[in-house]
Amino acid sequence: MKIVVAVKQVPDVSSVQTDDSGNIVREGIPSVLNPYCEYAVYMACRLKGDGPVTAVTMGPPQARGALLRCLELGADEAYLISDKAFAGSDAFATSKVLSAFVRTHIPGYDLILCGKQASDGDTAEVPAELACMLGVQQFCYVDEIVAGDDLRVLQNYRDEKRICVVPLRSVISVSKGECNRRLPSINDYLRAADVEIKTLDKAALGLDEQSAGVKGSKTRIISSRSSGVERSCVTIDGTNPSDAADVIIKEAGM
Amino acid sequence: MSGCSDGSCSGPDRLPPGMLSKYDLDLPTADGTLVWLEVIRGPEPRFEASSLEILDKARSICEGRVFGAVFGDKELKPLYDIAFSYGVDTLYHVKDKRLVQFHPEAYCDAIAELSARIAPAAILMGATPRGRELAPRLAAALGAGLTADCTDLSADGRRILMTRPAFGGNLVATIACNGFPQMATVRPGAFPMPRADVGRKGTVIYRRYLGSAFKNIVSSEPVEAESVDISKAKILVSLGNGIRDRATVDLAESVASKLGGAVSCSRALVDRGWLPQSRQVGQSGRIVSPDLYLAFGISGSVQHKAGMSGSKRIVAVNKDPDAPIKESADVFIIGDAHSVLKELDERLDSN
Ligand SMILES: Cc1cc2nc3c(=O)[nH]c(=O)nc-3n(C[C@H](O)[C@H](O)[C@H](O)COP(=O)(O)OP(=O)(O)OC[C@H]3O[C@@H](n4cnc5c(N)ncnc54)[C@H](O)[C@@H]3O)c2cc1C
Repeated sequence: MKIVVAVKQVPDVSSVQTDDSGNIVREGIPSVLNPYCEYAVYMACRLKGDGPVTAVTMGPPQARGALLRCLELGADEAYLISDKAFAGSDAFATSKVLSAFVRTHIPGYDLILCGKQASDGDTAEVPAELACMLGVQQFCYVDEIVAGDDLRVLQNYRDEKRICVVPLRSVISVSKGECNRRLPSINDYLRAADVEIKTLDKAALGLDEQSAGVKGSKTRIISSRSSGVERSCVTIDGTNPSDAADVIIKEAGM
Repeated sequence: MSGCSDGSCSGPDRLPPGMLSKYDLDLPTADGTLVWLEVIRGPEPRFEASSLEILDKARSICEGRVFGAVFGDKELKPLYDIAFSYGVDTLYHVKDKRLVQFHPEAYCDAIAELSARIAPAAILMGATPRGRELAPRLAAALGAGLTADCTDLSADGRRILMTRPAFGGNLVATIACNGFPQMATVRPGAFPMPRADVGRKGTVIYRRYLGSAFKNIVSSEPVEAESVDISKAKILVSLGNGIRDRATVDLAESVASKLGGAVSCSRALVDRGWLPQSRQVGQSGRIVSPDLYLAFGISGSVQHKAGMSGSKRIVAVNKDPDAPIKESADVFIIGDAHSVLKELDERLDSN
């Protein structure tokens, strides 16, 4: 199966620090492949059979790092869509760029996989927008993908679990954020290092200034502020449990 | 059924994906609010609470009429009056037995068609799993801006300002859409449950769905609603990886019940199978905002904090004086989780 995995690079939240006013310090934070996307790549490689797995991301030049990780995890090829005109894209503009990529570069794909959401933005909008723009079905909250005579997914809506047959060319978004997969071997690293990550700009996708980035976005951020919940961080020695219990009972108003 | 590759599921007219221009609703006359009313299915269907919370908010902040859209068959009749009593003026019932099940493509096509008729200034739905799946598809079909998981909405004429947390709750962003319709999904519980205006009247309009964008659903099973909904608890006794003994979970249950609260946890205990996923607080769990959040043996990862940062008061018990949760706590107690829970359990008995 020819599988496209749309991935995103995110700040490594495990090392995110906040400053005194509670704002995220972004400088110097390493970037990683979004954990949900990592799982999508893992699923794609399990399903692919003899077809290639193509990883694609839209982002700044540094986003190559995320693609390299995809290659190490088993993806066969990788595309970096990078263009100054695409900076500031919201979910709509991002989906538009990704759909243009699929149409122009992988028109004969069988399946598109995405992670449920990015661990930084958390909007979870791209998979369904992409599916709509390509005019195909979407399958969200997928916990399992089973390939047999047909392709089936287990979807988990929290109050309902259901199994659907997935037609080829659908978009699947997976909910898990990690997996117990094997670590890449030396060979994986070497193979990944040999694959050329292809870079595409707006012209290569047949897009112009208006179609993505800030101009192609349908939303804009008016303001952003620290959530402002100031916590007093009073520290208490609770070596003696009864001191700790005193405090908690008082907090609970009992 | 052949699935719907190559655009065959883009709607009744089977337009190719280029159809998007057909629904160009960026009209200066756009007016009113359309709300997708999610129905919890079962022998006695009812509205998902978030849908009703949004109706009330829409009525208080937005100009113009409030339109509702529901999908299903005859079983929805008893819900009409409920929709009106919470603020719907005109209810569009897309009546089709098959649409009792959630088919995002068909729902999207039908709502897009409704939007083309009524040209609403805003389209809102709950940020439930289904709402967060349907809204982006619809936004793409309409070429509309969408803000996910809003915690507040305000209006300036027909323009809506949407507020949502970002970066694990550290930042709050205010977002606006560049055109009409403006779309948002709203976090369940973000607005108080309104009171019904019983006897309020409205109009029902039946619609038929003529498309064929149905999924091939092989089986569907309801997941038994957990008796405990941690997002509604006033006090949470929350347990993490620092809990080493299974008996401590029972102890915490006992403390929680004496405090009139519930037990929640970090992902660590779900991974261990000690508590069900429905009790997990955090980015991939539930977002909670109790009056008091008691964290026992939780280190305070960004993903966990994303779920608990809206709590009114946070007290953490941790044996590591430098645990990162310290910065997010109102009171940080250095101590052993089990002994403190045991002490609490005994003290609350005698109270
Ligand atoms: C994509 C993604 C999504 C995620 N989503 C979530 C989510 O929704 N919710 C979530 O919780 N996590 C989530 N995680 C996992 C998260 O990164 C952390 O691994 C997890 O929150 C750690 O749980 P913990 O704090 O209980 O455990 P740890 O980090 O192991 O912390 C245990 C703490 O207990 C303390 N301790 C040890 N012994 C004692 C004792 N006797 N008494 C008192 N304290 C003690 C330790 O000092 C330590 O601070 C997610 C991760 C990823 C990658």
